Amino acid sequence: MKRLNIHIVFGFLLCSVSANAQLDSIQQLPEVMLTDAKLIHYSKGFKLEKLNDSIVERNATSLTETLRYNSSIYFKENGFGMVSSPSFRGTNAQQTAVIWNGININSVFTGQTDFNTISPLSYNEIAIRSGGGGVQYGSGAVGGSIHLNNTYSFHKTDTTEMGLRYGSFTTIAANASTTQASKNNYLNVGVDFISSENDYDFVGKNKKNTHGEFLRFNAKLNQARKLKDGALTWNSEYTYNDRNFSGSLNTMGKDGYKDVAARNLLQLKQEFGAFSTKASFAHLFEQYRYYPNSEKPLFDEGRANTVIGALQSEVFLRKKLRLNAKIEYTLIDAEGDNVGENTRETLAAVVLLNHKIGKDFSYGLNFRKEFLNDFDNPLLFSADAKWKVSEKYSLRINGSKNYRIPTFNDLFWYAGGNTYLQPETSYQVEMGQEFSIGKLKADVAVFYISSEDLIKWIPTTGSVWKPINISETQNYGIEITTSYFVKLGKLHSLDFNANYSYTKAEDLEKEKQLIYVPFHKASGAAQYNFKNFSAYFQGLFNGETYTTTDNSESLDGFNIYNLGVSYVLPKSQNIIIGGRVKNVFNTYYENVAFRPMPSRNFQIFLNFNI
Amino acid sequence: MKKLLLLSLSTLFFISCSSDDDGQPEYVPAAFENGILITNEGPFSGGSGSVTYVSNDYTTVAQNIYKTVNGKSLGNIVQSMGFQGDNAYIVVNNSNKIMIANRYTFESVDSITSGVNNPRYFVESDGNKGYVTNWGDPNDNTDDFVAVLDLRNNTVSTTIPVAFGPEKMVPYNNKVYVAHQGAYGQNNLISVISGSGLEGTITVGDVPNSMVVSGNSLFVLCGGNPNYTGNETAGSLVKIDLSTGQISDTYNFGTTEHPTNLTMDGTNLFYALDGKVFKLNSTSVTLPGSDIIDGSFYALRAKDGLLYATDAKDFASKGSLKIFDLSTNVEIQDFQTGIIPGGIYFND
Repeated sequence: MKRLNIHIVFGFLLCSVSANAQLDSIQQLPEVMLTDAKLIHYSKGFKLEKLNDSIVERNATSLTETLRYNSSIYFKENGFGMVSSPSFRGTNAQQTAVIWNGININSVFTGQTDFNTISPLSYNEIAIRSGGGGVQYGSGAVGGSIHLNNTYSFHKTDTTEMGLRYGSFTTIAANASTTQASKNNYLNVGVDFISSENDYDFVGKNKKNTHGEFLRFNAKLNQARKLKDGALTWNSEYTYNDRNFSGSLNTMGKDGYKDVAARNLLQLKQEFGAFSTKASFAHLFEQYRYYPNSEKPLFDEGRANTVIGALQSEVFLRKKLRLNAKIEYTLIDAEGDNVGENTRETLAAVVLLNHKIGKDFSYGLNFRKEFLNDFDNPLLFSADAKWKVSEKYSLRINGSKNYRIPTFNDLFWYAGGNTYLQPETSYQVEMGQEFSIGKLKADVAVFYISSEDLIKWIPTTGSVWKPINISETQNYGIEITTSYFVKLGKLHSLDFNANYSYTKAEDLEKEKQLIYVPFHKASGAAQYNFKNFSAYFQGLFNGETYTTTDNSESLDGFNIYNLGVSYVLPKSQNIIIGGRVKNVFNTYYENVAFRPMPSRNFQIFLNFNI
Repeated sequence: MKKLLLLSLSTLFFISCSSDDDGQPEYVPAAFENGILITNEGPFSGGSGSVTYVSNDYTTVAQNIYKTVNGKSLGNIVQSMGFQGDNAYIVVNNSNKIMIANRYTFESVDSITSGVNNPRYFVESDGNKGYVTNWGDPNDNTDDFVAVLDLRNNTVSTTIPVAFGPEKMVPYNNKVYVAHQGAYGQNNLISVISGSGLEGTITVGDVPNSMVVSGNSLFVLCGGNPNYTGNETAGSLVKIDLSTGQISDTYNFGTTEHPTNLTMDGTNLFYALDGKVFKLNSTSVTLPGSDIIDGSFYALRAKDGLLYATDAKDFASKGSLKIFDLSTNVEIQDFQTGIIPGGIYFND
């Protein structure tokens, strides 16, 4: 308990020191259904955080911004709005899986998701699942996974939401969505758009960000139909990004990038007594065009189609034992100027089990085996347990073996691609403690990840770079998340949220910290509410990160603060107006070397709910 | 764990915005003469290259000397350097500029920012003229050129369109020989430039990557097309008689052998191949010669019985300069350089 006290004190200090980010406690209406229910049922012994709408809205420019301020994940962003790749628990971007309604959407070519191409406003729920998720979500769920979920319900609903935002650097954004639901049908349609000149000042450098314009458009359609003892659901989304890539302190940007993603998912769910069966069919399309010179029509292109068919059956016995078996077939057909045309077939068999013993203890065992593709795919497993020691304190533990299969670029890139690559593998364990003392909630997790056969591109003779299974890493660290809510009289209330992480991620050969993994990161927010008015102050502390593999050069740590106010118009509860100031103290900072981030900037917004 | 928390706490409290760059105290000698200069390309993705100085007596090493002296960075991808009189012309590839500094003090003298596009190498000819090879847009094989500089006012006086992928140059007898290595592709030409005009081209082996002049002969080392092109060709050493401009001899390597980095000391030629350095007698060439040193090097230069070789390591950390005694082939010195040391120059 002594340790607990330290943690609590620490949590408070963080709130007051850097007044920090917001992680919401689980807040879900019981009747809302997830298209990816296994996220809830088979992750009991894992750390799962959900970001609610009000939190997302504070940092809605991109998924990068949302997660930067609300999780321990570090983002390498090549200038604001440009290519953005995460480091989750010290792992690399290819070891962080992005899961859309249960489907892994990391690029076939790069094996990662550019978090600036994802609109955080297109989903009902954004969840962060820390730790290994390879069994459930396949390749790349090593450090953790980000879940973008569209939920549905069959309760009568008729809502339409609209939002308009205008900000510095000629940033214009709008979103609109409508949800219509009845006893048997659910329909949600929405669009969302942002464009920016993105010509911010490099603070103190007498230079501007040039050639960094970006535009993102997203449209979604989510439908569900109730069937006798089941449901048919349809999720669909389309995203288009058109960006010029900005230069650095030393270079002028001249290249550009356009990408398109279209995702469709059809699921049929049927219940047969204690059994529940789900058939899924998905199609994913991705296309990129890289323009070495954005003024010229020349480009390099890649296109990939992924078709997934899956059948799963679940049995739930005596409200205690949940067992799920799934067969999933995936066919990828990709074609690119630098990789030629290639296909990959995978057949995966997955068994998931969760067993509740008594009221307060449950454990899970999960296995995955893949067939057909050319690698020697390991048998993946994970085991987890959660023990609710008391109303105020729970313990969880999990361990897993995960992997990342080589991407099409790794295998087929011209020149250098290596078809003899094997998957990267990693083992990990995590132990977590959850505290809930009145309005104070805290979560303390320690983790250890050991990875081997990591794919690394290295120069070979003839100056060709080639990927090989070479490096080994070891990551460990601690993550602390706290939230606190206090009501001050009838009209006032205060909300605090903070998180802190320490991450050591080491290249075992060099015995050096991996580049772009900060040892320390903290973020948090404090929000004050009074009647129709609310204001928040949000902060981010990012520690020093190394930029060279021998740790000879580094980026400075930085503190960034944002401020926001909003007001619900008293005569019409459906209109909210507000404004935000980002980087209040006009701090110069970089999260990728030589790529300055925005100066102080302003945003005003107007939201309607009809 | 307690200690860890305390540690992180104190860090949180006390870390403020600290200063930039290496954090190493840098020694600033009065002059950078009598030594070796190394150009470092610098980190990928927007960083700045640098120049490292090592004195001939090995007692002084100074990193990042241009920035130390002038307080500003050179720019992105410091490709190479050339000299004219007291001036060093530093070619900054991706920033599209040539930074000019006094080669002994490294004080900034001037810069050339217009008239070059993707510049690669600089040479001086007849005192007042400089030549700079330019790729233009590397995806466009028709816009490559050699910029002719007037070194009296450091401006581009004219440009000479040439075949794609012009790279290293050698001046000889008021002519400049330009090797067309082929940029991101492959080419097989030597352009001969005289004054401000293209006099002609000489077809050599595929991918001519380095040249030396020995007496009245130009040795051109051609790497051959690499395997990944699907049209792999053998490397070759081509000897051109400079009095006639004709090829006098061609020596072929094995089909899968792709040599690089030709350099010369006296009558000995040195080059790199498959993780080894080979030695040849320029007066009676028999390939491959004798292998004398093991190691994969990014740049090689031989001079006065010593071989200078840079190691770029993983291209994402500080590299090194190794010096070998060519009488024993033993490494005698090893110095840290900047990131991706790509050029070795003698500043005597």
